[in-house]
Amino acid sequence: MIANPYQPLNATIIEVIDESPTIKSFVIEPEQPFTFDTGQFIELTLPGRGEAPFTPSSSPALTERMEVTIMKAGHVTGLLHECNPGQAVGIRGPLGHGYPVDAFVGKEVYIIGGGVGLAPIRSLLLTLIDRIGEFHRVVCRFGARTPEDFIYKPALFGPWQKINGLEITCTVDQANGQWSGPVGVVTEIVKPDDVDVNEAVAVVCGPPVMMKYVTLRLVEHGFAPERIYLSMEKNMSCGIGKCGHCMIGRYYACKDGPVFTFAQIRKYPNIWD
Amino acid sequence: METVFISRFELLLDALAQEMEVYAPRCGAESSTFVRYDPKAPDGVAFNPARLCTPAKEFLFPLRERAAAFPHPLEPEAARPFAVMGLKDCDLKALRILDCVFLEDDEFRDPFYAARREAMFIVSSDCTEPTDSCCCVLFGGQVFPESGFDLNLSRIRDGYLVQPGSPKGAMFLSRYLDRFAGVPSAALTERQHERQKTTEQIERLNAAYRLDRKVDEIVQAGQDVPLFDEMAAECVECQACTRICPTCHCFYLFDTLDTDIFARMKMWDSCVRRDFARVAGGANPRQILGDRTRHRLLHKFVYFLERHGLYMCVGCGRCIDACAGGLDLRELLTQLNRERVSKGQG
Repeated sequence: MIANPYQPLNATIIEVIDESPTIKSFVIEPEQPFTFDTGQFIELTLPGRGEAPFTPSSSPALTERMEVTIMKAGHVTGLLHECNPGQAVGIRGPLGHGYPVDAFVGKEVYIIGGGVGLAPIRSLLLTLIDRIGEFHRVVCRFGARTPEDFIYKPALFGPWQKINGLEITCTVDQANGQWSGPVGVVTEIVKPDDVDVNEAVAVVCGPPVMMKYVTLRLVEHGFAPERIYLSMEKNMSCGIGKCGHCMIGRYYACKDGPVFTFAQIRKYPNIWD
Repeated sequence: METVFISRFELLLDALAQEMEVYAPRCGAESSTFVRYDPKAPDGVAFNPARLCTPAKEFLFPLRERAAAFPHPLEPEAARPFAVMGLKDCDLKALRILDCVFLEDDEFRDPFYAARREAMFIVSSDCTEPTDSCCCVLFGGQVFPESGFDLNLSRIRDGYLVQPGSPKGAMFLSRYLDRFAGVPSAALTERQHERQKTTEQIERLNAAYRLDRKVDEIVQAGQDVPLFDEMAAECVECQACTRICPTCHCFYLFDTLDTDIFARMKMWDSCVRRDFARVAGGANPRQILGDRTRHRLLHKFVYFLERHGLYMCVGCGRCIDACAGGLDLRELLTQLNRERVSKGQG
């Protein structure tokens, strides 16, 4: 860690990928190799404009460059969407605690994601795919508003469908002509017998309302709150557990999270808002 | 080095001013604060009988400072030595709390805070006349410091006793032996007597607010009562309570563009502000004011205690003086305590 935790490391955007009408991925090359654990996050600075927290969507195995998938949602993300390759940026991190992948070994990993929530999940998936033989099964349930809104479409509907030990089902709120899969919100394809609820671990990432109802559904199915891992989106500003913006009860989402078990945070007020 | 005696406050001030910048108390009829001491123009600087209106956090954690720069990184520099006089036990305990956040974090130290903390020479003093809002005794505080200072002053009839509390303080005294005298006979007994008298005074001031359970238990048990929402009805969201609080330390990072360089400013923020916890997507866990007032007290008395073993409140009463809505922390806690008792949780 550099001595000044507020100072970003210089980096450059080297590629911009259109993922969906409102989401782009940015390939970023840091000035020096950058390591992180899957699920940890970074603060991405657009110099002079501001910074915002993102969980890298690339594999932690790559240290020379990383990918960050960004939905146009606010001030900084809006400006980032205007950026082209060559743009100077800054990154701080890695920050917080990610997914405890070693604790998933030998188990069924049940991953439920929605919208841009697939970004952290992609990094996790790439990690799991590298070690796919170590897990009992990896079962994914992904949702998007329409087929166009899915991000990572080439991998999602291509090579990932053919990996042994990885099962992916996608649903959309609204179908179009080509869609042959399920239609409905992602909770509708979360079934009690998808995995063994007494043994499996669940990973949930998506818009707040989706995370809420999926988590409640999992609990209803018998999942222990200790085995439901949530990637919490809060207003992480300093990223180092001091500025107070991202507090969830006693926890700082930036320092203690952003990945929490439901058991850790369920007693605190308004966690889904 | 043992405790020594000085006849006049200025003798110590001038000795300090030979070595470093000195910030000393100035008390007016309406307010009191720290001012830069100039030996040639003392300008009303004098011993303060109680904590000042303004907290000492600004010396370590300024309202606004540069925290990063681009493209050339900002390297934290050592701070020049400075002395702050007139801190009371509550102020020292508040620094202890800020240290937990900015200095003693297991992973991340704030280098700007650390540099200033290292450079700060602390001269505290015994309280001799608590203000109407002083309530340290409700939160485990007292009217005289026992640790956390370099030097501590106790006012007695003919002057002041100066007690060193650190190697830095003792070294300082040893450099100015000619200005100080030995402790007069019976002076220590007199100090003891003064401390006792002030303690009784502050106890009397707070007799009506005595709580029969620990504050964290009261706040924890009371978090569901509508009192916080009623409190919110009086709050005008001016954020004065968090600005004036010696322990509140929330801040935000704000990037500014200045031609081709950018500066990242670290500025005080307040959890009372409506959009404080709002995320870019629009979600806001504490959009309702009652949820923010509730969170503020839970942070102070429950969450901080869980993390650091201390209340994030020292009972200085500044928030009581500053509140534009007339809210009084002591009354709120007393009321929460009553609700708890009436609900049969006692």
